Amino acid sequence: MIQTPLVEVKRLSVDYVIRAGLLGRHKHHIRALDQIDLDIRPGETLGVVGESGCGKTTLGRSLLRLVPASSGQVLFEGQDILRLDKTDLRRLRPEMQIVFQNPFSSLNPRLNVLDLVAEPLRTHTRLKEAERAARVEALLGEVGLSAEHLKRYPHQLSGGQAQRVALARALALNPKFLVLDEPTSALDVSVQAQIINLLVQLQRSHGLTYLFISHDLSLVQHISDRIAVMYLGQIVELASSQAIFQRPSHPYTQALLASTPLPDPDSGRTRIILAGSVPSPADPPSGCRFHTRCPYVMDICRSTAPQPHFIGEGHQAVCHLLE
Amino acid sequence: MSQPLLTVENLHLAFQTPLGAAQALRGVSFSVEPGQIFGLVGETGCGKSITGRAILGLLPPTAKITAGRIVFAGQELLKLGERERHKLRGRRIAMIFQDPTTALNPVYTIGQQLTMVMKHHRMAAGQELRRRAGQLLADVGLPFPEALLKSYPHQLSGGMQQRVMIAMALSTEPDLLIADEPTTALDVTIQSQILELLVQLQRSRGITIILITHNMGIVAETCQQVAVLYAGRIVEQGQVRDIFYRPRHPYTQGLLAALPKPEQWRQPLKVIPGSAPDALQPISGCAFASRCEYVMEVCRQQQPPLFELGAHHQAACYLYHQVQERS
Repeated sequence: MIQTPLVEVKRLSVDYVIRAGLLGRHKHHIRALDQIDLDIRPGETLGVVGESGCGKTTLGRSLLRLVPASSGQVLFEGQDILRLDKTDLRRLRPEMQIVFQNPFSSLNPRLNVLDLVAEPLRTHTRLKEAERAARVEALLGEVGLSAEHLKRYPHQLSGGQAQRVALARALALNPKFLVLDEPTSALDVSVQAQIINLLVQLQRSHGLTYLFISHDLSLVQHISDRIAVMYLGQIVELASSQAIFQRPSHPYTQALLASTPLPDPDSGRTRIILAGSVPSPADPPSGCRFHTRCPYVMDICRSTAPQPHFIGEGHQAVCHLLE
Repeated sequence: MSQPLLTVENLHLAFQTPLGAAQALRGVSFSVEPGQIFGLVGETGCGKSITGRAILGLLPPTAKITAGRIVFAGQELLKLGERERHKLRGRRIAMIFQDPTTALNPVYTIGQQLTMVMKHHRMAAGQELRRRAGQLLADVGLPFPEALLKSYPHQLSGGMQQRVMIAMALSTEPDLLIADEPTTALDVTIQSQILELLVQLQRSRGITIILITHNMGIVAETCQQVAVLYAGRIVEQGQVRDIFYRPRHPYTQGLLAALPKPEQWRQPLKVIPGSAPDALQPISGCAFASRCEYVMEVCRQQQPPLFELGAHHQAACYLYHQVQERS
């Protein structure tokens, strides 16, 4: 079945400029995203997994134009959001929202729950105060909070409750697309389970599309339909959640899987220990960016960047081994 | 079984806060056999880190031990004076922390920091200091140790910094290493390198390690004995296979069930309702009672002791009251 994607990312690159030296006279360009191509289908959860510095957070933010792109396109329902003027972008904002990792730094500590959740309604709708209050209460109900929380400030909430408030805020304008950037990484396991269940339930009831960013592979696997594995600003493998775990094809995906500790003392897995650490994105390796750590490195990997190979339906990986 | 290297008995610890005393530990007891990796696992605020610090004698000024004993290699630590404890700390008991970036001093080179520790504990002198420092860096798997000795912490990646911390901890040849969330700040591929290193050190040097973590996967893959901490008490302890294949305390069962599993794709995860109790309020009965699906009348009234369930497997839960009486 061919579906029109909700979000289409075409050859998207993002560069950060780092100033160094006396008075910042030396400029370094760091390529955080390098020519990303990606479709996000309506109603799906696309998981993005990778280690720090791989560009997963930059990807999420650039899809909402929260960081400027250097080149490429981000089409949201066919409109290139990178080319929209201020007014049109503002009109589109309610459709796409983001939830950050730490609710205590993303929520304004001086606003109570009522004002926090009402804020997007105030800026984007013309609801009267009473209507707004009713809408806020309804939203709190949807995320599992109640009227008793209305007058509380963020510091009076637990981590799980605060993340529920952040979700209610994100849902206030009935978005179609939510970027969830490590939404449970600051939470304990037992609370994480509550938030993950809530996310799955909200997706069903609201027909939401998620980009779920996390470093935790088992969590991404649990919630995602498809998974994109990122390494140094590139997507190295893209496949359905099942395929990533049953037939991981890129050596980096295999290593990530093998490094994720499992709650099973007799799992009997052979660990793949990758040498070294992720190279600096300011000076990425030549050829395949993973070649400095790859256990199967060949000569060609050092000189030539591999192209995406299609392994099965909707399954692609970027590796010379697959040629 | 051999004599335990460390025994913690009925340890009570409270923090003085403007709102009153917060009970962080409410009777923690466990013992660690020599040569083991002992996992101390629990969620935020359960008391796992402060237990580690209490053993080392590195408590913040607001924390007071109100009862209990800590016996290390036959010495009762809480009866020692500050001078004696200082001699043990870093020498026979060493510790590594979650964030190596803040644990290393940014203005000294790696070599200066490593030799400082050894000089302080009179492990070596002169040329020997430098040679040993280089050897230690090689032992923890760092390349080019000579060059590294001259580097500053910011020139190293997080994983390398944590290896330096481990080298520093090993420099005094301690008997016990307390590793407090040693990989939480690191990426998974680096985490597996560091865990592998700890396992190797345990095997090759016979060092005893207390691994403090919130990650059940890490416990399963590295520890032999495990104690699960909840609200300042141990609710279950046993061999790693007991804890993962035969968990008996409803909290341990809940923690394991809440983890996402590959075969349960998109199915609702099991949730432990509610949240951990407020440390400022006194707890009568079992601290988990308000969240427990099997709660009984007795659970709200009396604190359950640890019941024996098998060889070295114990759970603090009245569900097993009769199991023990029968056996």
